[in-house]
Amino acid sequence: MSQGRTLTFNIFRFDPQQPGDKPKMVSYQLDETPGMTVFIALNRLREEQDSSLQFDFVCRAGICGSCAMVINGMPTLACRTLTSKFSDATITLMPLPGFELIGDLSVNTGKFMREIAERLKLWLHPRGDGQDIHVLEAPMDPEEAARLYELERCVECGVCVSACATKQMRETFVGAVGLMKIARFELDSRDARSVDDFYHVIGNQDGVFGCMTLLGCQDNCPKDLPHMQQIAYLRRKMSATLVSC
Amino acid sequence: MTTKTYVPNPVSPRVLGHHWSAKADRLQSATGVLMGVFLLFHLHFESSILLGKDAFYHVVHFLEGSIFSDDGKGFPIITQIISVFMLAVFVLHALTALRRFPTQLGQWRALQSSLNTIRHSDTRIWYFQLLTGAALFFLVPVHLFEMIQAPNIGPNMSAERVYHDNTWVLYALLLPAVVVHAVFGLYRVAVKWGLTFQRHKLRRFAHGLMIYLMVLGIASLMCYLLIGSELTLPVTPYSPS
Repeated sequence: MSQGRTLTFNIFRFDPQQPGDKPKMVSYQLDETPGMTVFIALNRLREEQDSSLQFDFVCRAGICGSCAMVINGMPTLACRTLTSKFSDATITLMPLPGFELIGDLSVNTGKFMREIAERLKLWLHPRGDGQDIHVLEAPMDPEEAARLYELERCVECGVCVSACATKQMRETFVGAVGLMKIARFELDSRDARSVDDFYHVIGNQDGVFGCMTLLGCQDNCPKDLPHMQQIAYLRRKMSATLVSC
Repeated sequence: MTTKTYVPNPVSPRVLGHHWSAKADRLQSATGVLMGVFLLFHLHFESSILLGKDAFYHVVHFLEGSIFSDDGKGFPIITQIISVFMLAVFVLHALTALRRFPTQLGQWRALQSSLNTIRHSDTRIWYFQLLTGAALFFLVPVHLFEMIQAPNIGPNMSAERVYHDNTWVLYALLLPAVVVHAVFGLYRVAVKWGLTFQRHKLRRFAHGLMIYLMVLGIASLMCYLLIGSELTLPVTPYSPS
């Protein structure tokens, strides 16, 4: 029973906009309430103890991916992490590594996601020269739609990027989110790009062949996306294509 | 309000290369699997000393092709040929694996920072593979050159080498490094290419296999040391009674 505990939060504090500020860990105490998530705790800390505490949130329901941070060494979403799962009542919060720090626990994942989308061309390239908006769209096979939906569940929280030591070591590596999104368009029958075209952007050391299978993406993804299977699929398919050419 | 529209570039119909990335990845996995499987056999063959001098004697002579030789002692050159072949495989593996090695101080710092911030067992396992891989880069050629130069394998000659020539130091370093590197390397190849999605079961099996191979290797090394300590110099090759 977690009710009645006093939780200790050790939180990374640093504001790059504040001249002379230095990174530090600051401790806060808070009484635990039933069903408390780390997100709820952070809001209470900001309302009751320190209004300067910076962290991101939008949906509070694990949909927007904004509140991702490192909680006791695990990169995950604060809104989906119950404080009761930590038996020792001490919770350490760090910002996601590998992103531009906005302040405290807030990082700029949006900038990263936009750059990776532009670099890998992560949008649908429709078949045909002209698109007539008055013509009904061709129906999609329900099984294909289900497969696409499975990969489309990515909320771009950035957890897979932070959990990947390969990405931390190699700035140019596209990471699991890039590979997952490429796999999504590769499966889409409406997309005009061929296998070779997809592989042109990720068939190298910065793409699928740069992945060292550390599986931080697979083990930490808050949406349980099948990163391991998708990367293995891309690796096999691309390897077969490129070796034979 | 202004919006920026991204117009996709015409898709190139050509594949502009990168085939060496795919080939290097395949080669690294293939050479790794070859050496990993070789190690499994190697450790079991050399640990036949635990069953007695006769057992090891017969294993060695069988593997050196005793059934094809007139005197029934086989051809030691087979050991040399296999050693040269394994050295070539090792060099290929090292060359392809070096792509993964952090070569800049910044990369090492990023790795240490990631290990300190994120708790993740598979990343730690890979880190051990990285360290053992670096150790093997220096240790394996010593062992292979030794086998190429003087392939005197047998209950007494091997024991002499281990005890009197102090190669036990090499083996004491080589054994844990090669077992950790090979077992988790085989595990990683299986998940990397999607040969299995039962990852957690496979990892448990890998941990068990690692302990088993370590016990087997340490026991046989102790056995060689014991036999070596009982030998008087100059040592004569063992012959079954």
